[in-house]
Amino acid sequence: MATRTPLHGKLPRGVQDLFLADAARRAALEARLATVFRAWGYAEIVPPTFEYYENLALGLGSQVQEATYRFLDHRGHTLALRPDLTVQTARIVGTKLYDQPMPLRFYYTAPVFRYVEVQAGRQREFSQAGIELIGAATPQADAEVVAVAVEALRAAGATDFRVAIGQVDFVRTVLTEAALPPDAARAVQAAVDRKSQADIRAALNGYNSPAALLLGQTPSLVGGPAVIDEARAMAPWPHAQAALDSLAEVYDWLARYGLAESIVIDLGEARGMDYYTGLTFEAFVAGVGFAVVNGGRYDRLVGLFGPPQPAVGFALDVERLMLALGETPTRDHLPHVLVAASDAPAALAAVARLRADGRCVEMDVLGRSLDDLLAYAAARGIGCVLAWRGDALVDVAPEYVR
Amino acid sequence: MSAPPLTVALAKGKVFDGALRRLSEAGYGVPPGLSDSSRRLVVDSLDGRLRLLLVKGGDVPTYVEYGAADAGIVGHDIVAESGRDVLEPLRLGFARCRLVIAAPTERAGQPLHRRMALRVGTKYPRLTRAYFEDRGLSVDIIPLSGSVELGPLAGLADVIVDMVETGATLKENHLAEVDTLLESEAVLIVNRASHTLKADAVGELVAGLSAVVVV
Repeated sequence: MATRTPLHGKLPRGVQDLFLADAARRAALEARLATVFRAWGYAEIVPPTFEYYENLALGLGSQVQEATYRFLDHRGHTLALRPDLTVQTARIVGTKLYDQPMPLRFYYTAPVFRYVEVQAGRQREFSQAGIELIGAATPQADAEVVAVAVEALRAAGATDFRVAIGQVDFVRTVLTEAALPPDAARAVQAAVDRKSQADIRAALNGYNSPAALLLGQTPSLVGGPAVIDEARAMAPWPHAQAALDSLAEVYDWLARYGLAESIVIDLGEARGMDYYTGLTFEAFVAGVGFAVVNGGRYDRLVGLFGPPQPAVGFALDVERLMLALGETPTRDHLPHVLVAASDAPAALAAVARLRADGRCVEMDVLGRSLDDLLAYAAARGIGCVLAWRGDALVDVAPEYVR
Repeated sequence: MSAPPLTVALAKGKVFDGALRRLSEAGYGVPPGLSDSSRRLVVDSLDGRLRLLLVKGGDVPTYVEYGAADAGIVGHDIVAESGRDVLEPLRLGFARCRLVIAAPTERAGQPLHRRMALRVGTKYPRLTRAYFEDRGLSVDIIPLSGSVELGPLAGLADVIVDMVETGATLKENHLAEVDTLLESEAVLIVNRASHTLKADAVGELVAGLSAVVVV
């Protein structure tokens, strides 16, 4: 007997096997998302699963950099499994598609890899479905991307969800105007992100310029379009005004699309400030305590690889969305028809016709008796069994199944 | 039609009674006589606006991060130690205490960074590690779950990192404060998704509680 290692047959933490109903459910969900993406004019992009780490690292925040799986190729170059597809898309556009007519619209559904805690449906290998709209810096472009996210969630079957939209340029400008020492600025930013007024005050440590005081107000700048006006009155700086104007326009466009009720404006959005350059947004779906969609504008990314292009996009966490949607019943993984083994030309022709018509037909390859086939069909949940005696069809679709 | 209740995880122990009192003062119909020694784990408020989950303090941030509870009331020290990604909109002004490093009185004046292989006993390994790493010090962190003051006496640890309210316990055990890592009090924490999905109910809770906070 072969000796078995302690890891024999086991899986490392952070990966999972998907099969039967779960695999079918995910494939169906990804197909529905892709249909929405294509309907808005997005074309599929398929970057490689791994590439040189230095290229990926160039565009990643330090947190994601640390979470990247790295390994060496035979020449000693560091490779990495992609932790997202946004940097890859930026690399492709910057190095290969820079002379194409803009804007470019791309979508993807693909696994990504991050060495992080397994949490809320997210393994270390998890699926992202996302879009990137490259070459347009307008609020319409921002609004389109948010609208696609909303449409994608709807098409997936989510009913109770909301998208929080923010503008990192607003918080960034106010932070700059507050002119804090770097340590204090970092602490304030973290406190703004946690919406902790007390921590913001503590981190400001006596700074009381108008900008500093406004930072303390950010936790309450959340709600409908009125918060933009509220912020306008408190943030006279041109950059902040521009950021607010742009966000107001994005909101107006979303209202035109009829999506206003799904949108919450959150001016205290301070995440990914080293990465995003304008709009940021997160979508939350009832049933999962974590954001299901993350997105925003990243105008500096493409320029790291070639001629600069403004860009905006999002990534949707497919397994998290599945968790939020719950276990919807599916029969997608089952054949529609089970056919008893037969060599009759009529049977083979009929099976070929059924398949050509789009039916999924499983033909018995074990030569089982009709009783055995019926039991097998019942056990698997296959609703229709066909058998031929010679050239004559015996329809034995059993009522007791389904 | 009434909205589904907001789920609030309450930490049993030190902050429990104060949390109930604040919720009640904020106008939520908290059932009278509710105690954290009760065997009930889920209690609805009389007005149906809140569903209270009675859980161990350390679990409150977990419930809230995952969204099993929309909000929670627990010590800030526990939230910080947990490292959980939650919003922390409100400090509640009670259950105040400090997380400090304490050393045996006779050695309290000795600078920590000149000690070799310092052994630190604590219930707060995460915050303790962060504190020493920030200062470039490699220390041996010994996680303990109670009576941390015993560590130095028994020779298990050189110093401890622990919560103090008055400092009396430290003194009794011949320990003196060296530095403060964190000021703590009871806080309201909120799940990120709930903050957006249940913005109205969460906003009501934050406003209601902030109106009764005594600073």
